[in-house]
Amino acid sequence: MEIKNSITRQNGISVVEEEGDLRKILGLDDSPKPEKTTENNRKRFLKQALTLLGTGALSMSAMVTQGLAAIEENPDNPGENFLESAVSFSESELENVIVRMQKELQRAMQKPMEERKWVMVIDLRKCTGCGACTVSCIAENHLPPGVVYRPVIEEELGSYPNVSMRSIPRPCMQCETAPCVPVCPVKATWIRPDGIVDMDYDQCIGCRYCMTACPYHARTFDFGYNYTDNTPEVQPYEKVGNFEYGKRWDREGHHSSPVGNVRKCHFCTHKLDAGMLPSCVTTCIGYATYFGDSNDPESLVSELISRPNKMRLKQEMGTKPRVYYLT
Amino acid sequence: MSEHNKLNRREFLKSSALLGGTTLLAGSAFSGCSIFERAENNDLTPEEFYELCKPENILYTTCMNCNTGCAIKTKFVDGVLVKVDGNPFSPWTMTPHIDYKHDPTKPEIAKLDGAICPKGQAGIQILYDPYRIRKVLKRTGKRGEGKFKSIPFDQAVKEIVDGGRIFADVPGEESRNVDGLNEIYKLRDRDLGNRMGADVENIKNGTMSVAQFKEKYRNNLDVLIDPDHPDLGPKNNQLVFNWGRMKAGRSQFVQRFINQSFGTNNRHGHTTVCQGSLYFACKAMSEQYTNGKWGGGQKFYWQADTGNSEFIIFVGSNAFEGGYGPPLRTSKITNGLTERSLKFAVVDPRLGKLGGMAWKWIPAEPGTEAALALAMTRWIIDNGRYDKTYLSATNKPASDQVGEPNWSNAAWLVKIDSEGRPGDFLRASEIGLGGDRFVALQNGRATALSPREGAAVFGDLLVDTILNGIRVKSSIQLLKESAEEHTIREWADICGIRERDIVDLAREFTSHGKKAAADIHRGVSQHTNGYYGVSAWMNLNLLIGNIGWKGGMSQPSTYGATSGAYPVMSMHSDPASPFGTSIIRHDEHYEKSTLFNGYPARRPWYPLASDIYQEVIPSIGDAYPYPVKALILYMGAPNYSLPAGDKLNEILSDTEKLPLFISNDITIGATSLYADYIFPDGTYFERWEFHGSHPNVTSKVQPVRTPVITPLVDTCNVYGEEMPMTLESMLMGFAENLDLPGFGPDGFGPGQKLTHFDHFYLKMAANIAAQDGGLPEASDEEMRIFRESRRHIAGHTFDEKRWSDSAGERWWKQVVYMLNRGGRFQGYDDSYNGEKLANAYDRQVNIYHEKTARSTNSMTGLPIPGIARHSIPSDSLGRPLQDKEMGYNLRLNTFRQGVQTKSRTNVAYWLLAIHPTNYILINRITANELGYSDGDMVKLTSLTNPDGIWDLGAQGKRPVAGKLKVIEGIRPGTVMFSLGFGQWANGASDMVVDGQVIKKDDRRGRGIHANAVMGIDPHLKNTCLTDPVGASAVFYDTHVKLEAFEGELV
Repeated sequence: MEIKNSITRQNGISVVEEEGDLRKILGLDDSPKPEKTTENNRKRFLKQALTLLGTGALSMSAMVTQGLAAIEENPDNPGENFLESAVSFSESELENVIVRMQKELQRAMQKPMEERKWVMVIDLRKCTGCGACTVSCIAENHLPPGVVYRPVIEEELGSYPNVSMRSIPRPCMQCETAPCVPVCPVKATWIRPDGIVDMDYDQCIGCRYCMTACPYHARTFDFGYNYTDNTPEVQPYEKVGNFEYGKRWDREGHHSSPVGNVRKCHFCTHKLDAGMLPSCVTTCIGYATYFGDSNDPESLVSELISRPNKMRLKQEMGTKPRVYYLT
Repeated sequence: MSEHNKLNRREFLKSSALLGGTTLLAGSAFSGCSIFERAENNDLTPEEFYELCKPENILYTTCMNCNTGCAIKTKFVDGVLVKVDGNPFSPWTMTPHIDYKHDPTKPEIAKLDGAICPKGQAGIQILYDPYRIRKVLKRTGKRGEGKFKSIPFDQAVKEIVDGGRIFADVPGEESRNVDGLNEIYKLRDRDLGNRMGADVENIKNGTMSVAQFKEKYRNNLDVLIDPDHPDLGPKNNQLVFNWGRMKAGRSQFVQRFINQSFGTNNRHGHTTVCQGSLYFACKAMSEQYTNGKWGGGQKFYWQADTGNSEFIIFVGSNAFEGGYGPPLRTSKITNGLTERSLKFAVVDPRLGKLGGMAWKWIPAEPGTEAALALAMTRWIIDNGRYDKTYLSATNKPASDQVGEPNWSNAAWLVKIDSEGRPGDFLRASEIGLGGDRFVALQNGRATALSPREGAAVFGDLLVDTILNGIRVKSSIQLLKESAEEHTIREWADICGIRERDIVDLAREFTSHGKKAAADIHRGVSQHTNGYYGVSAWMNLNLLIGNIGWKGGMSQPSTYGATSGAYPVMSMHSDPASPFGTSIIRHDEHYEKSTLFNGYPARRPWYPLASDIYQEVIPSIGDAYPYPVKALILYMGAPNYSLPAGDKLNEILSDTEKLPLFISNDITIGATSLYADYIFPDGTYFERWEFHGSHPNVTSKVQPVRTPVITPLVDTCNVYGEEMPMTLESMLMGFAENLDLPGFGPDGFGPGQKLTHFDHFYLKMAANIAAQDGGLPEASDEEMRIFRESRRHIAGHTFDEKRWSDSAGERWWKQVVYMLNRGGRFQGYDDSYNGEKLANAYDRQVNIYHEKTARSTNSMTGLPIPGIARHSIPSDSLGRPLQDKEMGYNLRLNTFRQGVQTKSRTNVAYWLLAIHPTNYILINRITANELGYSDGDMVKLTSLTNPDGIWDLGAQGKRPVAGKLKVIEGIRPGTVMFSLGFGQWANGASDMVVDGQVIKKDDRRGRGIHANAVMGIDPHLKNTCLTDPVGASAVFYDTHVKLEAFEGELV
């Protein structure tokens, strides 16, 4: 997991890549099959990563190598503590889907990045459209006015007196063939080996081509507004940094990222790295959102996406979303 | 990129060192290599880097962005609150919640977040609201004009205590002399107060005359409000304390100041604006007969054990958006749906999110809730589908014998008078069986019974007979007769629904044994007939005997905060015993008052209710039963929250009727706007409280609210201690200046100081920890995390020595153990005892309410019925409402959106990002009939507000207008708006402070608030329609008209 972390943190690697598809660089199959996590795989991954970095990203390589070296030198790196199951949960506690999914996530994080495939499953029968996920995401990622990663669309169906309600959360679909990726003129966005459509604020020039390309409108632009603009005082919670992409992003003004960037849902990669579930998942008061590794046959999401009532949005466009809906 | 990154980390380390973070990090569990070095090397692991997963940056407390009071985790970056999540230790925010014994300092637990609703998430914006006040404001213009100046705390306290010409600089009030608290605090001799109080009881009981009283106390009559009416009590009662939202902790602190130290009887909450008749009907249902009297009725109610029910009927109870529901109940319901273990029906004029997922949505006509329940009752009794074993158990010995957690008076016999009206229960002595016992027919034989002891008596259920010449009927027979007033078909017509739906509901309700529940809330109680609607629905639960059973009806269960280690309420240096009629005339019979002068009374009396919000200010306006000299309002916005709340503005604006008005608020709020002084307060992130529980929480609990941040208000000095300006320091400032006993260096008794509110609250925290055998002590690591996670809190708010000294060494580490988990929570598995609830209600439940039946309506002079029944909406004189007949063709209703509460949440911009405004909802069919389209601007008018305006006094008048939204999911003939919008204060209007204009923020004033067109009682004229029994403020019995609106909205 240290390696993965180094890569995500040094997400500038995409700059040196022509295709912008990290999975290709790593020589992985386009649609990888579930693979057993083994020590060998982990080592192979290490090697591949190092090779990759050595070929082009010279400016970055020193630092990355240093990071990797640190791991080799210190196999008991304390950062991996969270992966150890220090806490044992009772059976009734494990019935709680959040407890279960957090454990599954921590298990998945022990594997090399290319061996896990994150998927999100949203059970529309359980979504009440409360907006908790929307707001939790805004708080977690310090989204300003105009930027939203996870809107929830509410609709009324039928006519009086036979009426029902449906609510549809719409995060980034993290498409396997993401239309937003190839249109980026500066290669600031790409697909990670674990399936998350990643981006680099420092590379993004704010041209917004990706916004147009996304059929789900999952990308929005950060104009640098604050919710407390035009009030007696802009408040500190809007200025203090968030932790997206494993970096701290203080909103220091109109010329520093993420202001001026396109922004999108990233399944809270910074939280995954710390062994935590995405914010929209834990805060869901209806337990309607599931998250996990579809490469792990034991995972809850693997069970859920095998069901006949699953669907994906706009499948006809060939985007192959990693977000499934249960209906 | 990396430079930027590194720099920030260095800066972070520097700042955290300044805050005392050095020790924290150096001594942390990450001991393999120096975190500093690795941070400098840009080499932190993700979990070290991600600040919000570290226990050192997490504090557990309790939300109050609505009254659900969910347990939350607050997360900090550089001392700034940036994230709120649910607390996994609490049944509010995780289902099932994790075991209390887990260690929150362990990374895996620290990383485990529970669920919390959008309001809870957005609480950050209540804390960091740019419109918060940080200093005491004093009015410089007319009441309500919105002109203030900031003044020093000490000056404000002194002016309020001393009185005098304190508004000499306000135009028009140059010579107005105001009585300060010092003048109102007239009766100071505790012994005299005790004697007078006892003799007032003698006057009420007829054993002493007023003349005798006046003679006996001839030298002390000046302490009384009116010597000719000693039962009004001392002048101290002319100070009224009224609040909008207050939980345990603050509640006892205020009780201490207001009742025990100042000696006024006037401390009133807001219950009736929420669900008063739900509380007071259930209080009547839980009254117990002890020593010849009914007493001990609990102001509470029951809700479904949601997660274990197989069938629930939600009636006017919106568990997905309100009703103590969202985080606690949503996942239990949604899991039930996908696991196919739960079926539910929703009775509500609006579909809403809950109805939108229901097996059946039944949009019955509002106000006919009792009719629907009685229709079901009729079908259930006619078809014999009720729990005969449970209902026949007449007393505890009988219920024990059949394994029921409680028993009812279903089989008790009630005497019927010559006009057929039920009166008292038959007493055994009346039929020669002897003793103050009750009677049931056991296998046809009259048998005496005692509620809690003696022989187990199983009574015959449907009884209508004559014993010793006395006509008697069983309680359940009376219920049956209420249900038989109409056929099911007729009931269906009254409710405006299909007969088939009633039968389906009743059949389903009786097809799941005890795992079915009728779960009701405001939609039943906030009607003029609310008390009986509630009774009728709760009786349905009794018919299937589900109270106290898993999947049935649950009661709230809490670890109390007033005893265990410290009996805080009796630890008082010299407590007063307040006496006299309260300004809202609660818990008193008009007939026993010296003010009794036939019917109707000047204003209603409420022998069966309390905390009657809509009576406080209107009674001050009418100076009935006496004039009030000073009002302290805390966390309240009654003119916004109450139906017809606009009528309060006239009274609040009148300095003759209300000479001194002090408000304690976090902003210049809807009602604070009219105050003479506004004292700042801490938000719920900045202070103490013990939030208590809700009926649908089956575990025994006590969520604790602790300050998680230095309050963003100025500090003051009271009793030599620096404290933030909050409700407590305001009251303590008054106490110090008045030299009140109960506070100060000897406040708890000689040498036991109460000079900081921590001295009070930490004792209460110790009480919670000490109960039920105490708690484990916090480990050294837990102690360290406890300190480090508070490193950003100033010493006047968190001081370990002050906290531990207050809690006492014996309890301190147990208190820390508790605070590290956000309160005390019984385990999920321990909350059930086989098929019963571990904390089951275990006392008597009343179908027939004898105490109620012994009371008289003070306006009509008629006896108040003691059995559930259907009645039509009426005014205080019992006259049916006329507005529909007079052409007001649409029934007005309200609802709650999950993203707003009533008066305080629409300042949270994240919530406004989701729903920036509200609408007037109308069914497509009705809109077509009336010729309106979606998006039309319309004004609402009503019989008592024919112009459709909000009269805001000095703020001018505003139209009650908004935008129509045409939908399918609402009963035709009904219009509804959601609460929370249409504000005029809280930053929604320009204010002037210290000569500077504080510009409004238009986002905060959007939408419609239509309470102003809700019906005013046509007889009382200055308050809303009210349930005469359960005292609910009536939201749902007004009819309105729509008019096209073309003017400008503010």
